[in-house]
Amino acid sequence: MTLKELNKKCHCFAKKTLRRCGKGRRRILHHGPLSESNYAGKVKICKVTGDRKLCARMASLGVIPGEEAELICPKSGSRCILRINGGTLSLDQTTSNNIIVQSV
Amino acid sequence: MSHSKITMALAGNPNAGKTTLFNKLTGARQHVGNYPGITVSHKEGYFKHQDHKIIITDLPGTYSLTAYSVEEIVSRDFLTNEKPDVVINIVDASNLERNLYLTTQFLEMGVPLIIALNMMDVARDRGIEIRFKKLSELLGIPVVPIIARSGKGKEELISEAIKIANKNLPLISKDISYGEDLDEVLMELIDTIAEASFLTPNYTPRFTAIKYLEHDDQMLTKGAESNPELARHLEQTVGVVSDHLLKTMDVYPEAIIADHRYGFIKSIVRQGVMTHKFDTDRLYTSDRIDKVLTNRLMGPVVMLAILFGLYQFTFSWSELPVLWMEGFFSWLGATVEFYLPDGMLKSMVISGVIDGVGGVLGFVPLIMFMFFGIAVLEDSGYLARVAFMMDRIFRTFGLHGSSVMPFIVSGGIAGGCAVPGVMATRTLRSPKERMATLLTVPFMNCGAKVPVLVLLIGTFFNEHKALYMFLFTMHAWLVALFAAKFLRMTVLKGEATPFVMELPPYRFPTFQGLLIHTWERTWQYIKKAGTVILGISILLWALMTFPGLPDSQSEYYETLRNQTLSSFTPHVQQELEKRISKSNQLSADAEMLRNKLNLIDQQQSAATLKNSVAGKIGSFFEPVSSFAGFDWRTNIAMLGGFAAKEVIISTLGTVYSMGDLSSENAGSLGQRLFNDPNWNRVVAVSAMVFIMFYAPCFVTLVCIAKEASWKWAFFSMAFNTVFAFLAAVAIFQIGSLFG
Repeated sequence: MTLKELNKKCHCFAKKTLRRCGKGRRRILHHGPLSESNYAGKVKICKVTGDRKLCARMASLGVIPGEEAELICPKSGSRCILRINGGTLSLDQTTSNNIIVQSV
Repeated sequence: MSHSKITMALAGNPNAGKTTLFNKLTGARQHVGNYPGITVSHKEGYFKHQDHKIIITDLPGTYSLTAYSVEEIVSRDFLTNEKPDVVINIVDASNLERNLYLTTQFLEMGVPLIIALNMMDVARDRGIEIRFKKLSELLGIPVVPIIARSGKGKEELISEAIKIANKNLPLISKDISYGEDLDEVLMELIDTIAEASFLTPNYTPRFTAIKYLEHDDQMLTKGAESNPELARHLEQTVGVVSDHLLKTMDVYPEAIIADHRYGFIKSIVRQGVMTHKFDTDRLYTSDRIDKVLTNRLMGPVVMLAILFGLYQFTFSWSELPVLWMEGFFSWLGATVEFYLPDGMLKSMVISGVIDGVGGVLGFVPLIMFMFFGIAVLEDSGYLARVAFMMDRIFRTFGLHGSSVMPFIVSGGIAGGCAVPGVMATRTLRSPKERMATLLTVPFMNCGAKVPVLVLLIGTFFNEHKALYMFLFTMHAWLVALFAAKFLRMTVLKGEATPFVMELPPYRFPTFQGLLIHTWERTWQYIKKAGTVILGISILLWALMTFPGLPDSQSEYYETLRNQTLSSFTPHVQQELEKRISKSNQLSADAEMLRNKLNLIDQQQSAATLKNSVAGKIGSFFEPVSSFAGFDWRTNIAMLGGFAAKEVIISTLGTVYSMGDLSSENAGSLGQRLFNDPNWNRVVAVSAMVFIMFYAPCFVTLVCIAKEASWKWAFFSMAFNTVFAFLAAVAIFQIGSLFG
């Protein structure tokens, strides 16, 4: 099968690329690790750092750069609850330190 | 009909309702075992549908099929090795996108698949409408809407699943595009793999290629074993792409793959599969509850209140049934006493069987209420929040948030049992955190230690019973946590694993589910009473009875008895004999004779006990145990506690009652201890500390050995006993110093 055939056969987003965190028109309230976010509400994931296993695990849970998520309990002892892709994830400090977000 | 016996596998995300559907389909016809070598439960059940006999396996809940966790490996291996005729993928309709992520991987794997779209009712309540026919059409596989809780749609689901099973489809991967960069490499890899028939027929070339790109450890190892040269070539090709992606986009291929899978799902969902009636941004009730229940300040307060409620529920509601059970066993004991002739058999049945097993079965109502309460917390989704909130505290001690469940089950709120507690450590993924939890849960105050504590506190600290009980519960927690910290700093050194957990939405538990969960755990407890404890009680009874008194001493007591009898008139003797069958008032003389005879009986029993094997062991340890204030009789009880903690109280009852079979109620035992010169407040505290922390009971040890190894079981026995003894000695010595 050629690439063209594949693109036709698949639902077409072969050209899809990861969306990056850009500087929006609105003032950004927070940009940095999720653990330091002081604001409950929508955030955009900019980057996931840490070892490869953690990144992969986060990716499989939908924590991928460019995704938007909702932070439910910020600053509750540095651990947070994140709503993403319809699920609710609880993360500890080490993990949330590794997720760089920006408020939307 | 091509199949009369069909194998099915239930797969899906955690909390998607797999187990609920499994219970609905199989009812009680299920078997829970272990996957060989690891401690992930293997649940298999049977049922009949029309003419087909169906064997169904409930696979562990997973989010993906990459080797990130044991569950994922187990699920994937089961699918490749056992090749079930059809895989039922349970998808939570109220959380469609996340759940379909696993579906995409099943599609890529090419297994015969059917989707059970569960929780359609919850989705509807949330204003989500799903056109399942459209979903089926776009994915190219059947989709059946069901409500697992009520069993709605299960018949249709099974009929559809049987249709697929009968088709005997070969493995065909569904293609998903991963973007230009990856697709190009993927094609190249697929061609190479297909040409060399690499890892076929178990995996399709596309699946293998994707796993190589995802850097899946297990697949890389498998590949290297099957064709090292080709594997090296594939790894090199993938390595080049990975480096390129890392340089240009700062991500690993697996992130791009995951992103495209979610993209694929979104593209499907947006083609009219899912419509929201309400604003998609709104928070669901579950999230709103979480805002309060996991709040930094409110969360712990509510958690303590709920745990206290569970404690109240367990202890107050079970009070009456526990009394009934006790009543039943004392009735049984009295009946046996009345009908069986005096002798060895009677003594064995009463002291060995009824007292031993009855003591354990008497707790069944309490255990059942506690497991019911825990099942409510678990099934409602609150326990996951408790784990989340407790993670911070547990982490300080080198444990994991998920350790909270084993601790609670073992008696974190006094009254559990270490056996299910040890088994509950299976939810922990990191081996070291799991081992630290497993070794420290026996420190908790299980249901068998509670009566001993209640007895000793009631006897020696009667004025502040509740306070002391609470203090001892807290003490158990502190010791367990510090012991865990100590283990994690010494023999179990290692990194902490990140706490990443999906919180299930709050739900009303189903009654059937609660009953099944409660029964499963209660049954384990009853089985223990029927087998191990029965054997051990009889063994202990034998240890405490044999070899018996030497003939000369028996004769001495017999002569003493005859002398006493002859010192009274025959009239008084007759009166006492009649009294045995009729409950008349005795004259003063007869009363005196009875007391004298009882005293002789007691002395003889004491002599018998001291001469018995158990008595000799107790006396042997007395020089050492006296540092902690324990005499030989307490030693016998502690020895019995090695077998099962339940035995401590009944042994104390026996050794301090000295042959008086019918007066074994706690009050009088307490009185006897209170009046005994060897017992005082300091000894009581020392004994309680020793009982709380010394070697776990035999059944727990067997469980530790099964879950870890015999080496760890012996370690736990030695470590706990040495620790408990040192603590008891310290308390006794310091306490005695201050009077």
